[in-house]
Order: sequence, then structure tokens, then C-alpha cells
Amino acid sequence: MTAGPILADGDLLAITEQIWASYLDLDGASPFVPLSSAEPALDVHASVSVTGAWRGHILVTCSMGAARNVAGALLGIDLDDVTPEDVSDAVGELANIIGGNVKSLMPEPSALSLPVVLVDGNVGFPSAIEVGSLVGEWLGEPIAVQVLESTAEKDK
Amino acid sequence: MTVPMKILIADDSRVMRQIVTRTLRQAGYDDHDVIEAADGRQAFDAVVNENPDLVLSDWNMPEMTGIEVLRMLRANGVEVPFGFVTSEGTAEMRNTAEEAGAIFLITKPFTAEAFRDALDPILG
Repeated sequence: MTAGPILADGDLLAITEQIWASYLDLDGASPFVPLSSAEPALDVHASVSVTGAWRGHILVTCSMGAARNVAGALLGIDLDDVTPEDVSDAVGELANIIGGNVKSLMPEPSALSLPVVLVDGNVGFPSAIEVGSLVGEWLGEPIAVQVLESTAEKDK
Repeated sequence: MTVPMKILIADDSRVMRQIVTRTLRQAGYDDHDVIEAADGRQAFDAVVNENPDLVLSDWNMPEMTGIEVLRMLRANGVEVPFGFVTSEGTAEMRNTAEEAGAIFLITKPFTAEAFRDALDPILG
């Protein structure tokens, strides 16, 4: 555990509200609504990691519906046109923006990782392709290994 | 009538490249040509091959980070105006960016007004 200041009350909400105001709710009609408690939805899970003077992870989890709404709003497209790649990219970017802002509040120096996204339990690394894989089992239970190489995006 | 300029947007997120493009329009810079790069290597190559008038670059990208792109450009004598658009805006990063030759650092989330403040001296 890294010693250091924790986030002040309201920091995460302030960051989130700023993102909504800038990208997701430009006219203020559909703001992010904080709740005192809620069962987390885990369809989509995006995270970034911080290493350095502060070490930790920033996670965004949401339902597929929320993820599709985020992708549609960020890209300015209809929900019907949102692809799985859009969902992965959009929620990954959401985690990246929140993570970058959280990192800025923590002790320096530190470095922010690229986002990792899981959709329905399937891991997705934006801008990466599989260059090797191995599946097998041990004692009757499945084990898989994957090597992903960061790559330039092929389509625009 | 402003002379159209070529602006390179470098970000590994297609979503973010789209947002930057949209924000340029909202900020009033809709007459300029936009080209894109999806990682640091592509960004470096695009500057060398397409000679943009301005680079708007993410910091954290695969292949080469934005700061590595900027340093390599300057090491090769390329003096294209270069600004960062990044989710991280610490004093340390601003200093690092400035020392490497960046002319501004815009933090995400950003507004069209933030773009105007940073870009008017170059594009206005």
C-alpha cells in the first residue's frame, strides 16, 4: 500500500461532472446522477493503472447500455451505429480521462498506463492485436495464454 | 478569410480524435484540414511526410509517447507548432512539455473555449 493523500470528498464527482458537461451532457439535460449506494453493473470494465510515487488503479464499470450510451454520445452517432469496438474505445477513454485527472491529484512523479477494457468478461486492449495464443488445460481446468502487440489502428 | 491549415490529431483513441475534431469545429476552426495518427510512430511519420501546420497530440500512446514524438521531431530539426491534449495536467508534465518545445497543454476534459485560448495565437 502506498502512503499518501487520499482523494478529497467530492473529487471524483467533480471530475466526472466535468467530463459529462464537456462531452456527454452538453446541454445539461441528462447529468450523471450520484447515488449513495448501488449494485455495480459489470458488463463493461475499463481500467488504467498509475505507477510511481502513487500506485493504484482507476476502474470504470458499467452496464452495456451505459457503455453504448457513452460511445454514442462521445462519437456523436446513433446507438444503432455503435459497434463493439466503439464501446471498448469509448469506455477505455473514459477511464483514461478520469484516471489522468485522478493521477494529477496524487503525489508526483508517476506514469499512467494505457487503458485495459473487459467486455462481458472478454479482455480487450485498444490498439493491440494478438500475436500469439495458447489454450490448454491442467487438472481438467482451462488455462489460456495470449500475447498482444500494440499496433497502429488500421481503420479510420 | 483564413488560410486553411493542416492540423494533425494524434491519439490512440478514435473516439478522442473525433472529439478533438468536433471541438475544433465548435471553436470555430472548421476551415482547416484535419489528418489523424493512431499512435506516436504514425504521428512522427505523418509530420515528416505530410508537413502539418500544427500538431495536437495525446501524451500516452502506443509505439511512442507524445513527448517522445516531440523530442524526436525537435532532434530532427522539425519545428512544427506542437501542443498536447491529454488527460494529465500536472505541473511536472507541463514543465516537461514546455522544456521539450510544446506551446500548450490542454487537459481532458476540455471545452471549445479552452481550444480557442490555446489555438487562437496560432490559427486565429
